[in-house]
Amino acid sequence: MAAAPASAAFIESRRRLFSALFSSVGVADHELALRRPGRDGLRDKDLPQSPAALSFPPAPMRWLTRATMGYTTQAYLDFAALGANDDARWTAWVTQQLNPASINDSGCNTRLASAGFTTLNKTANQLWTQHHAVTNDYYVRMLPISECECATLIRQIYSQRQLYEVMVDFWHDHFSVFGWDYDGGPMFPAFDRDAIRPHVFGNFRSMLQAVGESASMMYMLDLYSSEAAHPNENYARELFELHTMGAEHYGGIVQNPDSFANMTLLGHYTAPDGEEERLKYVDDDVYETARALTGWTISGANWPYDPINGVPLGQFVYDSSRHDQGIKRILARYFQASQGQTDGIVLFDMLARHPSTAKHMAGKLCRRFVGANPSNALIDNVASVFQQSWQASDQIKQVMQVILQSAEFKTGWGTAMKRPALSAVSALRATGADFTLKPDNNGSIYTPTEEFRGRLQAAGHRLFYWPAPNGYPDDQVAWSSTGTLGMTLRMLPRLLEMHQTESYNDGYPFLVDVQGQTLAAFPANQRTAATVMGYWCDRILGYRPEPTYTVAVDMLRQNASAGDVLNLATNSWNANNLSMHYTQARLRTAISLILCSPEFLRR
Amino acid sequence: MSKIDRRDFLKGCGVAAIAAGSSSRAFAYVAPPDIGPAAATNDTLVIVFLRGAMDGLSLLPPGASSPYRADYVAARSNTIIPVSGTGAALPLNGTTWALHPRASKLRDLYNQNRLAFIVGAGQAQPIPVIRSHFDAQANLEFGFGGGTGNNVGWLTRHLISGGLPAVVPLPATSFGSITSSSLLGSSDAITMASASDYRLDGFHWSWDDVDQDVPGLVGAVSRMNSLWNGNATLLESAGVETLASLDLLRPINFGLYHATNNPGGYQPTGGANYDIEYNQDFADQLRNIAQIIKLNLGMRIATIDLGSWDTHVGQGNPTQSYDWFGNMVSSLSDGLSAFYTDLASSGAGNLMNKTSVIVVSEFGRRVQENADSGTDHGYGNVMLALGGSVNGGQVYGSIPGLGTAQLYQGTDVAVTTDYRRIISEALIRRMANPNIYYVFPGYSGYTPMGVFQGPDLPPVGYDQIFAHGFEGPG
Repeated sequence: MAAAPASAAFIESRRRLFSALFSSVGVADHELALRRPGRDGLRDKDLPQSPAALSFPPAPMRWLTRATMGYTTQAYLDFAALGANDDARWTAWVTQQLNPASINDSGCNTRLASAGFTTLNKTANQLWTQHHAVTNDYYVRMLPISECECATLIRQIYSQRQLYEVMVDFWHDHFSVFGWDYDGGPMFPAFDRDAIRPHVFGNFRSMLQAVGESASMMYMLDLYSSEAAHPNENYARELFELHTMGAEHYGGIVQNPDSFANMTLLGHYTAPDGEEERLKYVDDDVYETARALTGWTISGANWPYDPINGVPLGQFVYDSSRHDQGIKRILARYFQASQGQTDGIVLFDMLARHPSTAKHMAGKLCRRFVGANPSNALIDNVASVFQQSWQASDQIKQVMQVILQSAEFKTGWGTAMKRPALSAVSALRATGADFTLKPDNNGSIYTPTEEFRGRLQAAGHRLFYWPAPNGYPDDQVAWSSTGTLGMTLRMLPRLLEMHQTESYNDGYPFLVDVQGQTLAAFPANQRTAATVMGYWCDRILGYRPEPTYTVAVDMLRQNASAGDVLNLATNSWNANNLSMHYTQARLRTAISLILCSPEFLRR
Repeated sequence: MSKIDRRDFLKGCGVAAIAAGSSSRAFAYVAPPDIGPAAATNDTLVIVFLRGAMDGLSLLPPGASSPYRADYVAARSNTIIPVSGTGAALPLNGTTWALHPRASKLRDLYNQNRLAFIVGAGQAQPIPVIRSHFDAQANLEFGFGGGTGNNVGWLTRHLISGGLPAVVPLPATSFGSITSSSLLGSSDAITMASASDYRLDGFHWSWDDVDQDVPGLVGAVSRMNSLWNGNATLLESAGVETLASLDLLRPINFGLYHATNNPGGYQPTGGANYDIEYNQDFADQLRNIAQIIKLNLGMRIATIDLGSWDTHVGQGNPTQSYDWFGNMVSSLSDGLSAFYTDLASSGAGNLMNKTSVIVVSEFGRRVQENADSGTDHGYGNVMLALGGSVNGGQVYGSIPGLGTAQLYQGTDVAVTTDYRRIISEALIRRMANPNIYYVFPGYSGYTPMGVFQGPDLPPVGYDQIFAHGFEGPG
């Protein structure tokens, strides 16, 4: 067993190896070692999230970045027209966005229609018989999830109901379903359309039951197969651990949890009907909940695969023959025997109004908008509103108002970062992309949709692709790993290089018409590096922070000076005058440097 | 360049951190390690994590003459591994345990005494039998005996305390999109899903990087460094680290050799074939690890995942064509076999002599099969150890039995070997890092089982504060 040779000779031989390997890069080789003098191996996680020295964009840019799928100049102009000052404008903007039906979305709808999706409006029964039943054609079988993925991205990029799409994304993470599950995938549009979207700004209790009854969630967590003889614990456990009270309210394995001593230890509260319920859940609650939900299934999902009680295949049905009718105790509440489906109804009521659920949900919602460490005051405030309005049809709207009008939301910055999908979507929004994603079955053409989905997958953030029910993480530590950040930095410049129809074929127009937009913005005699890159900083970031602005200007100007007029029409070899060397490509590259800046990835 | 030696830097941090009190560094440095680079080895440890709870009783079922065979047969029908006929388990020398029939390459390595199994292995925690995948994985990977502590993984603590020299190009890699929890908090690790994809090549070719034919051209890849030139926030420092990682790997061709399409690509040696029937990504990542080891970049640690093994429904069995579990087993077997062959036959000698692979899963699966032809979450499981310096050809550990009276809580295989014992033996005997009680706060009573070759060192790093486990902040 050799000892690690730390001798000077060893280090010198390594230096020679790396000089040979890295000579073309021209960087001093010891800086290319991950472990080097002064680096002790521990990432410093206590670095400030948002120190005073950090560049701060103006308030509207910050708020729009945090509350939409990406800041755009147009969004800012629309915002500015809403009132006499930023606070008044923001109040009007939030109110408007919380009423999505009042927002004209014809542009997005036209684009969706042009994509030619065929599965998104199919009923659960149609999805079941026309896709779930297909076993010899994987493309047809999985077309529903494929189209739903594309349609969701189109909405994120183009919908005017931006806050709504932000919250659709939140709820899909919260009730995370692996969209490409063999059974759940063909049913996915029903999950998105009927279980999630109608309740996004509505009522959590309603969403909770709708999600539980959805085939996609049933398959994700095996509820469809749960029956009295063999109750399935999977959904019951995640219902507590993820969907409602959260793992932080897990009390462990406790014998006799409803004893006076243990009720005191675990905490309890008085429910609206006067019953005492525990504040923490224990394993027995999971088992009893599994029993309570037996019989909740999908018509046709279990042998002999015939419709149950006349309910069409693929739809939710309560099958009393599979239900455990015995008495149960959940969170110390007594469930009498033979209550059938009411067991589950009462259970969902309990969980939706429970203070631990309010606390858990408040924490998640605050972290999405405010960043990793929202104050306890804000969380408690949000939890209080969440709990008190648990029966209100506008419960989530009320909660959103509290968060979006909070000082923490309005004054904070840099406490979070864009996850890869958001960085890509916001890049496409800010640069005015023309991108109608749609699936295709042509193996020989590599479409931009395929490339986009593949690159999101490589960055670890493809939509509906997280395999576990806990959803994609929502914290900076996870998304700032070298792998995901590296693949994001690899992906973003490609967005300006990708072509319509066939991604690498320059016979087709670009997804983003950089050239056209730049020429239209300035008459020829004003096209200098300073003005052009200033324009694109304004488009993408809303301001011109350093060093990003200067790096972009330097990239574009090369040996010219920042105020020299550039000929943006050229795009050919000119090694003798770099300011004329592949200028159009250089312009796209300079803009992609803005996309690759920390300011763009900051929230 | 800084003249501060690493140990002084660490000590300085330690003092400041203890004074500061509650920062994440404080907890990591309460027991400052003190082992010099000369004592450590440059072995590589590869941790393969089988995500989703692998059914150890199907990978290593009781064989025909096993005292547990009868109880096994009583509990398993649709998921059973028979001992005769189609799909029969493979007998193993010197033990009554047998091997899943689709792990024939692992059987070969076992017969060459290079592969060992450990039964009844798992996490023995103060609150027993965590049934949640996330919690069990987190507990195992953070290594605090339960909970996430200060969100620093056990491998991070090993790298800090393991006597790395002052300059190591690439101490660790985590294969996957998101960093493995065991390496969380480490600035020594690169995370990537595919080494050949890990490069900045999104810019137009004319302006992406240095072009020999265009003097003075400074491309976007180089200019990125100017955008991320600070360390003021978490995001900035992550960017700097990411760009450094990308720079490091950029000149390396990680693609597979192909005479016309990729003549500069990687050529496995010894006839190693990384082309496997399922889970090709797993084999590709193993190939990347082998290549990095051969490149002598100083990589001590690699983590890699294979999943999902969460066979609640339709686990399958090898007597029939539907054998989902067996597909996963074949990936593990064929992938590890290619990896072994490739490194054992390298031009620089048998590199498997200084490479050890440990295979672990978060818990096992219940003995009694369920009504969906699958198995539910259990407790005790099987671990594997593979390497040129492994005392293979044996099954280590024992279980009380598979009858109801011998099962934990009447349902699960018991845990009789703490997973930390196996890992600690590798850290001491292979990596020469005795700081196992620093790596695993709250762990005590270590003795070697004999799985790995190498000298024993007295374990250190035991700290009174952590005598009863690590509480962690908040």
